[in-house]
Amino acid sequence: MAASAPPDKKRRETLLSAELGKYLDKRIRVKFQGGRETSGILKGYDQLLNLVLDGAIEYLQDPKDQFKLTDETRSLGLVVCRGTAVVLICPADTMEPIANPFLQQEPS
Amino acid sequence: MLPLSLLKAAQDNPMLVELKNGETYNGHLVSCDNWMNIQLKEVICTSRDGDRFWKMPECFIRGSMIKYLRIPDEVIDKVKEEAFKPRGPRPGGGPRRGGGGGRGGASRGRGGRPRGGGGGHKK
Repeated sequence: MAASAPPDKKRRETLLSAELGKYLDKRIRVKFQGGRETSGILKGYDQLLNLVLDGAIEYLQDPKDQFKLTDETRSLGLVVCRGTAVVLICPADTMEPIANPFLQQEPS
Repeated sequence: MLPLSLLKAAQDNPMLVELKNGETYNGHLVSCDNWMNIQLKEVICTSRDGDRFWKMPECFIRGSMIKYLRIPDEVIDKVKEEAFKPRGPRPGGGPRRGGGGGRGGASRGRGGRPRGGGGGHKK
């Protein structure tokens, strides 16, 4: 098993470093398993997807529905995000709510 | 046909990805790796209940959170084409490129003595 690990690891790193390297010192949005969402300035990462976020903000969940977010936020400061819990990463400022884009395209 | 081969062949194609949390992501596949971690571009995210939407130019999704991916039917033809290319089957055709053989290298000595350093004509 050990013999097959290095190429796999390398391939993963190439995807990650291509993807995350360009986000360094930029604000990213991170979704976690369980529904928590944060944004913060990416200060570092590793191949396990552990992240270091500075100036992190958590977008609080609706207590009645864990998949809904409220407008409330709380400040977290400098955090290390556990890679195994990370679900999705995208640049923070580019994410915008829109109206249903599928209605006009494919009326069903 | 392996699921990940299909996914790799689907690069640059539009697809729908549903996550285990119920959110769906429509976008063009930029790249994927052996963990099914994927990068999408021109993404539309749909909430779990299906009535809120977000747009983002790109995003990165962890493979272990994917429930399923819907990919265009045409991709399957592309996979078949690629299967005919010589680099397809891995188990026997390992040591083809270079002298040492792909994985492990010569120094590791994992599969017995290094065989077929040059050409690897086994037939």
